[in-house]
Amino acid sequence: MRTATLKPVHWAILGGALAVALLPLLVTGRYNTNVLLLAGAWAIAALGLTVVLGYAGQISLAQASFFGIGAYAIGLGTVHYGLNWWLAFVLGLVAAVAGGIILGATTLKLGGHYLAMVTIGFQIIFSLVMTNWSAFSGGPDGITRIPRPPFFVPLNTAQRYAWFALAATLLVALAVHALRDSRLGRSMRAVRENEIAAEALGVDTLRVKVTAFAISALLGSAGGSIYASGFLYIAPDTFDFGTSVQFLAMVLVGGRESVAGSVLGAGLLTFLPEWLRELKKIYLIVYGSIIVLVIVFMPEGLWGFVTLLSRSLVRPSPVPPPRGALPMGGARPAGEPVLVIENLGKHFGGLKAVDGVSFTVRQGEVHALIGPNGSGKTTIINVISGLYAPSFGEITFLGRSVGGQRASRIARCGMTRTFQNLRLFRELTVWENVLVGAQRAGGDETAIRERAASAIEFMGLTSHVHNRAKNLPYGTQKRVEIARALSGVPELLLLDEPAAGLTQSEKDDLVEIVQQLHARGLTMLLVEHDMSLVSQLSHHITVINFGRKIAEGAPERVLAEPAVGEAYLGNREAARA
Amino acid sequence: MASIGQILLAGLSLGSVYALTALGFVLIYRATNVVNFAQGEFLMLGAYFLFTFVEGAKLNYGVAALIAFGMLGVLGLLFALGIYYPLRNRSFLPVIIATIGASIMFQNGALAIWGSSPERLRPVLEGGGSGGVTLGGVFFNYQYVIILAVTLVLMGFQYAFFEFTLLGKKTQAISQDKDMARLLGIPVTGMIALTFIYSTILGGLAGMLVAPIFFLQHNMGSIPGLKAFSASIIGGFGDVRGAIVGGLTLGVLESFGGAYISTVYKDAFAFLLVIIFLLVRPQGLFGEKVGEKA
Amino acid sequence: MRRSARFLVAMVTGLAVFTASPGAAQMGGPIKIGQLLPMTGNFASSLKMQRQGAELAVEEVNKAGGVKGRMLQLVREDDKSTDPGAVQAFQKLIEDKEMVAVIGSIRSTQILAMLPTINEAQIPVMIGGTNFSLTHQGSRWVFRHRPHDGFSAQVMVKFVVEELKKNKLAIVHTSDGFGNGGRDEVVKGLKARQMEPVVIKAINTGDKDYTAVVTAVKNSGADALVTYFTSTSDLAIFATQAKQQGLLPQMTWIGSPSITTTDATKLAGDALVGTYGIGDYDPTGNPTAGAFQVAYKTKFNEDTDLFSAWTYDAVYNLATAMTRAPDLKPDSIRAGILAIKKRMGAENEYTFDERGDGLDHYYILRNEGGTWKVLKAVHVERY
Repeated sequence: MRTATLKPVHWAILGGALAVALLPLLVTGRYNTNVLLLAGAWAIAALGLTVVLGYAGQISLAQASFFGIGAYAIGLGTVHYGLNWWLAFVLGLVAAVAGGIILGATTLKLGGHYLAMVTIGFQIIFSLVMTNWSAFSGGPDGITRIPRPPFFVPLNTAQRYAWFALAATLLVALAVHALRDSRLGRSMRAVRENEIAAEALGVDTLRVKVTAFAISALLGSAGGSIYASGFLYIAPDTFDFGTSVQFLAMVLVGGRESVAGSVLGAGLLTFLPEWLRELKKIYLIVYGSIIVLVIVFMPEGLWGFVTLLSRSLVRPSPVPPPRGALPMGGARPAGEPVLVIENLGKHFGGLKAVDGVSFTVRQGEVHALIGPNGSGKTTIINVISGLYAPSFGEITFLGRSVGGQRASRIARCGMTRTFQNLRLFRELTVWENVLVGAQRAGGDETAIRERAASAIEFMGLTSHVHNRAKNLPYGTQKRVEIARALSGVPELLLLDEPAAGLTQSEKDDLVEIVQQLHARGLTMLLVEHDMSLVSQLSHHITVINFGRKIAEGAPERVLAEPAVGEAYLGNREAARA
Repeated sequence: MASIGQILLAGLSLGSVYALTALGFVLIYRATNVVNFAQGEFLMLGAYFLFTFVEGAKLNYGVAALIAFGMLGVLGLLFALGIYYPLRNRSFLPVIIATIGASIMFQNGALAIWGSSPERLRPVLEGGGSGGVTLGGVFFNYQYVIILAVTLVLMGFQYAFFEFTLLGKKTQAISQDKDMARLLGIPVTGMIALTFIYSTILGGLAGMLVAPIFFLQHNMGSIPGLKAFSASIIGGFGDVRGAIVGGLTLGVLESFGGAYISTVYKDAFAFLLVIIFLLVRPQGLFGEKVGEKA
Repeated sequence: MRRSARFLVAMVTGLAVFTASPGAAQMGGPIKIGQLLPMTGNFASSLKMQRQGAELAVEEVNKAGGVKGRMLQLVREDDKSTDPGAVQAFQKLIEDKEMVAVIGSIRSTQILAMLPTINEAQIPVMIGGTNFSLTHQGSRWVFRHRPHDGFSAQVMVKFVVEELKKNKLAIVHTSDGFGNGGRDEVVKGLKARQMEPVVIKAINTGDKDYTAVVTAVKNSGADALVTYFTSTSDLAIFATQAKQQGLLPQMTWIGSPSITTTDATKLAGDALVGTYGIGDYDPTGNPTAGAFQVAYKTKFNEDTDLFSAWTYDAVYNLATAMTRAPDLKPDSIRAGILAIKKRMGAENEYTFDERGDGLDHYYILRNEGGTWKVLKAVHVERY
């Protein structure tokens, strides 16, 4: 017997539709209805912040300017230029997206506080221009007599417009909700969690961030347009820095990563000042303290608090069973060069971390890169995978010169890696982590999920699949990183100190995994300290010291060389003393 | 020529207000990695505390200032306990919002206590009624001179503190790795509380010095606070010299922008330059190019 | 089941939360008059005076028996000094069906924002904003209790050019509805005399440094300065810096009414000595003003100014209209207001025309040794 033909998401849509239908009926009076439709407009803009801040982790204090662009598009478009409302609406969206792309592009160079500063500057410039460029914007007195949008039914009452606004809010909420688990949404969350790892897994982080800003600008503008026709009057001081801060507060109070949270936060912070009116002079004091209290006592926002209570009640959606073996690259004759390093150098100012290293990694082999601490091994790996640009030298991967290219491009050619210092997407589940890795090889969502499922099964992570990465024991976390790297059909896997911190039995497991991967023909470059692991696994060793290669060849020969022993133990004189 | 001199001086004067506010701001950031959006409110509250004792209780300026410092210290402690401490392990965004919430509380608290009418506080030196002296056609406001002098002295003091004293090094250690600092026996919580107390007093001092010029209103701190933030960014976030240079630079940019470009767009002009500056040199003037170890 | 279930819970929670908003309590007996006040926000500086003026008037009216035996009651709402705030406060006030009229705001930009709502609500609103267009947009429901800026500019220009014999005028104004409007009217007035201002400078509310403006005026060769400052503290900072940098007291300065307020004198002190101002209110201007000043000072121990005077007059005009009207329906009150002819208020003599303008006078004042003295009262032709 079918328990329910309606999936859970359908219940949510129903519930939302119900709320949209009922609220304007339950909320009576012109005043309250106005506040309701304003809350809807704010919520749409707040959802834009959910995308750029909640999902992508980029701080934006310019949301009010996009809100203003949408509002002015309607105000100027319909009142000053006589355009059709919907045409003006679209123009606003276009202008806002352009602005969002510009802001997003600055993330190429900036993040964190600096990005915040740029968004603040953008916002303030917008406010000042709108206030003072009277000929264009109507100046500080704003624009009045803004019309309502033409629609199937005339939207001439507050109640009808409230329905319109809330329906729009619901649509946007559903879209933003759907975005979260889409490929783009996952990439955004990966960028938020660990940008370097995302880049190294083939996510074009710049494009993702710009897209996030563009979407948030789009939604800000949509909200602003709805606001303008709801309020019928706009003035530039509504779209200032203080309002941007308001949006940020709404999203954080509500719960920044969740759609429901942002809607709740927007509603609450719109209604709260009105409810607190009774308190007259002290109401803003109360308002400010409520914000502080929520932030302090409910880290995940109000919505996060609600879900905390309900988490025990819900079960996560199932992971598809793996179909077939884990797909892997390597369709070329054994022994053919996969990665050729010629005279590679990396200088950091005066420090010569890598100074003229050359070696070749061939198809099907496990190539180890060893050397004492500080010899430059990890730097070499970082240069190869694109995290640093080389100071000189050639890197050729599968016949292509990749030196100096962005890590995501190199990754998309088939190179994946793990990290010495573990770079998991901590707030994401194991499943989501591996999905991001699987995205690298392209294909539709089904193919991505199947690859991810295969990788998880291969690495024995099936029981952990829905745990958040940050909650796992260390050894398991390392396995997740490997699964993440494997799920994208790699041609070459770089393992940066995979055994660091592992127990002996975990190391034995690691040896088995590497041997199995080798049996399937995967080419691997392994940076390791543990000599027994190195001698068990590798076919070819390159030894690095002080940024230079000091030995190379088959394991037995290399490990017996005196130069190598010296490098690890210091020179003979000192050793004896 | 006198005009340019006056405009330059105006820029430096205003800039020194930003710089002084930024000092307290940077100090909190250096010790705790917190971006304190309520720093401007400390400025405002310091001004009002001093006002209450000088104009209200008619006390001697020096005595009133000391009492005000005391009150500011208590405020700083409460701020550290109520806002910083509960959020000390969270990411920087909730903390920013919490400080903004605190800022709203402070502003409106001041509105409720002292009312909405702007108030006047007499300057430290009346200077024959004009408050300053004219040299070479350029008017030097004594109050601004005092602000600049205080700022430079404090900058020297703060720089020397961080670079040359053990206590300063310990404070830096706390901001870089709290747990490690604790393991080394550094009394982290106590020192952080001290940092907040000092920064609050610093912010309040800026307010006390600036009040005779700006007049007192509940919202007098918000713009200096925002500009102090911008100034520290220009200077290189977290660097003491940077806060000073950043503040002075911002003030001068604004002043010349207002004189030669547009009086109403001068803020836009200043921010545009900040943005361009950041894009060209993201680490600010004195910040270090920090490469993340991959 | 995960996120979608939470979604559902959210919607239900949201419903419950939003519908719990408190409604207005029901009252009978007193006549309710709403008042919009800037209790919070950037223009809260005029809060106290506006509130107290109305409060005094209500007390006096009630002591004299109220309106037809019913007491007046003021219901105050915070307009937050913003346009959306004013509109929302207004809507909150008129939710109460017993509200017969509203007093507020004094800021033109807020009134512009409220106009569509006022016209829809069809309730008399006493306004204090001086932007010319407020009574020229076709609304039947606004009644202005201060002379508009078309008049103020005329009066200032006429005085400066004809009486003070200056012909190189500099204009400094706040960049907002009020300041921009004033600037435009002054330029118009000069143009009618085939003249042009030698320099125009705009400032933003909240600016703390006016060096650039002072320098520009000094270098422009102007012999007189006309200003439209919205914020009194901005004006005070400007005045202080102008004096320090040598622009005052040499420059002849006539300013819009903010220069004559008690706050301006408190803050700027003797920087304003010798300056001129036009004001729509002066405590020595007429006998009603004199009595108002005495009563206000007795009750609040503060001096009166235009902020307290206009709300005082608004209450009295409403009381007069309601006494004359047969009932308290909006149209009846409106008719009662329009019937007010030559009624002396604290500001001056009120005669309401069809558009809603009640005043057409200005006082020209001069700051002599720290106190403002009325030089003369001027009446202007309405248009």
